[in-house]
Amino acid sequence: MDLSFLPKLPLELSQPVLFGALLVLGLVCGEAIRRYAALPRITGYVLAGVALGPQGSGLLGADVLGATRLLVDLSIGLIVFELGFRLDFEWLQRNKWLFVTAIAESVFSFWAIFAALTYFEFRPLLAAAAAAIGTATSPPVVMLVAHELRAEGQVTERMLLFTAVNSVFAYVVLTLLLPFLYLESSGDWQAAILHPIYVLAGSGLAGFVACIAMLGLAGWIGKREDRQFVLLVAVVVLTVGVAHAMNLSVMVTLVVLGMLARNLDWNHVLLPLRFGHGGQLFFVILFVLTGASLEFDALGTVAAAVAAFIVVRFLGKAAAILLLGYPSGVRAGGAGLLAIALLPMSGLAVVMVRDTATLYPGFGKELAAVVLSAVAVLELFGPLATQFALKRAGEAHPEAGGA
Amino acid sequence: MDEMRFVPSSGVSLGVELELQLVRPHDLDLSRDAAALIARLEERKITGAVKPEITESMIELNSSVHPHHDALRAELEVMREAVVKEAGVLNLRVCGGGSHPFHDWTDRRIFPTERFKHIVERYGYLAKQFTVFGQHIHVGCPGGDEAVYLVHAMTRYVPHFIALSAASPYYQGEDTAFQSSRLTAVNAFPLAGHMPFVKDWAEFLEYFDKMRGFGVVESMKDFYWDIRPKPEFGTIEIRVCDTPLTVERAAQLAAYAQALARWLLDERPRPAKRAVYLVNAFNRFEAARFGLRGQLIDPYEERKKPLADDILEALAGVMPQASALEGAQALAALAADVRRGYSDADWLRERFAANKSLAHTVRESAARWAGDKPRAGG
Repeated sequence: MDLSFLPKLPLELSQPVLFGALLVLGLVCGEAIRRYAALPRITGYVLAGVALGPQGSGLLGADVLGATRLLVDLSIGLIVFELGFRLDFEWLQRNKWLFVTAIAESVFSFWAIFAALTYFEFRPLLAAAAAAIGTATSPPVVMLVAHELRAEGQVTERMLLFTAVNSVFAYVVLTLLLPFLYLESSGDWQAAILHPIYVLAGSGLAGFVACIAMLGLAGWIGKREDRQFVLLVAVVVLTVGVAHAMNLSVMVTLVVLGMLARNLDWNHVLLPLRFGHGGQLFFVILFVLTGASLEFDALGTVAAAVAAFIVVRFLGKAAAILLLGYPSGVRAGGAGLLAIALLPMSGLAVVMVRDTATLYPGFGKELAAVVLSAVAVLELFGPLATQFALKRAGEAHPEAGGA
Repeated sequence: MDEMRFVPSSGVSLGVELELQLVRPHDLDLSRDAAALIARLEERKITGAVKPEITESMIELNSSVHPHHDALRAELEVMREAVVKEAGVLNLRVCGGGSHPFHDWTDRRIFPTERFKHIVERYGYLAKQFTVFGQHIHVGCPGGDEAVYLVHAMTRYVPHFIALSAASPYYQGEDTAFQSSRLTAVNAFPLAGHMPFVKDWAEFLEYFDKMRGFGVVESMKDFYWDIRPKPEFGTIEIRVCDTPLTVERAAQLAAYAQALARWLLDERPRPAKRAVYLVNAFNRFEAARFGLRGQLIDPYEERKKPLADDILEALAGVMPQASALEGAQALAALAADVRRGYSDADWLRERFAANKSLAHTVRESAARWAGDKPRAGG
């Protein structure tokens, strides 16, 4: 009897199996941790990742994680596009203090972290690079918590705005610091200058071109919600792929695409965007993969620096918002809650550290350990902080349950 | 019984309340930042008052008491400017219109005050479905008996106010085919409808005491009538209007109510008549469904005629009173719109036909409320 129709053992598992398994496992862990521990779902997704990753069972090895980089980029791309698409330049025009506060929030946390790291005797250049990475709040975490709590209100809106601003700020500052790191390792000053120009201008331009294409096609397709949804996802995926292929920043390209799509839509061809349940897929995948890539090993040895990093980062954010928040319309209690809501750090920081370390081995192992440990801690506690802040601000929907 | 003492007003003074929608620019759905906006407005020195309403997506502008249309309009324009400016700081847009075209009523959250909580407990989903936006017009009366007469006499003109203000063709994402869908949301309440046919203030008090004795109501606020006396203000309050898309229109409607009241009180052209209430439900429906294109049964002449004709006749009839009250221009503007068959509901449908999106219709409506000049072709 010919049994060749049966599969050969061991089974050859393809990407869809991996993708589906990660989703199911993440979903189950997220739900379980919400039900039995009353913690945000995100924490469950991350823990699922930790359990699967090299730190845990090792099912997700470093090679597999490398292969999922595009998946991570895709998820981040969709999420930061949605974030950018919410941002109205008109708000910044009507409320000048708001932009000042957002920039100050980034600058203050940058300086605070920089000061703390130099106190721990890291070299200033490396400390600055790490501080830049630390400035960013996690877009996926704040977006998902806001979404799951169905939060609406002044703290929520500002949290999203400040997250977009500090994420771009972090990337731009880091990119501008790279030439100095590069010079230290290679001495090729032409490449040192050209690289940041290429990445920043290229990402901006790619976002702009994608935006023009998106608006043109949307105008032609017309105002049909279902078709526009497909169009938006298609353009975003395509842009992520192109940015990835061209070694541009996926994050910057997609934030720019989102912001321009909203603010250059003078003829109002685009409909409001609702990713709805479809968006969940990418969130779950992203957090599981982030969890798998977290590093706790070094936490013990650099605990003091990590604690300082987290505390001064918060103080920097809080100081800016408390000082400047009032004229921009943040109410007294809201300022503190906003600073708490901005605590999460995420996979984006991991990506930035890895990219920096790959390009420039000069980025010390120990400093990477500090940043990655801080990410690990804040990846687990950040969602809790954001959830607390939005609930406390009274902006969560009473029937929404926990994130 | 003091709260039910009718405090006389001088002349036929004028005031309005406007319930406004707060929307967020990113998806043009209703926002819930009423408290933050009101807190900011409290710090600004403007006359009139801004108050919370039953859901957190709504604020209410209360004008001061004015003798004439122009002063009312000027105050409303100042209030509009302040509200739009402060809303901009909080990334909100403000919008007129009787309904939000596509919000989901289950998303609404109730403004946390005792009275509103009580309403939710009592009325359940009706309270949230009641996220509709109306204009209330107060006209001053010299006494309670005059107020009772005026409520009865004015009821004949209720369809005028419905048709002239109609601005809620869309509800829950659908074209309702009505010019004013908002009125239907009000009808669901057990204490909606009209004042009973009492002959004077003494008889009204008797009725009120009886209702309070039964525990049906606690105060006048619990009656959701189309027109109700408001003894502590010394006014009658007309409550059937949708909030128009502009403050100008709101002031014009008030000027019309004022001129009508002056005419009815000074000349007593007709006695109060029970038959008015026999045809009221039909007339009201025609006006809400078809607006200016509806029919009206005149209970005095006992015949049916086009509502638009009836409005034009009435506007012409009270023009002398309007002139004396410096409101002639406002009435002329209303008449011009009736002649060309225009209402705010038609504008909303026209914009939706052009931009094919209720969200963008809301955006344009907010720009219109703010007094922005429309962008060419936009």
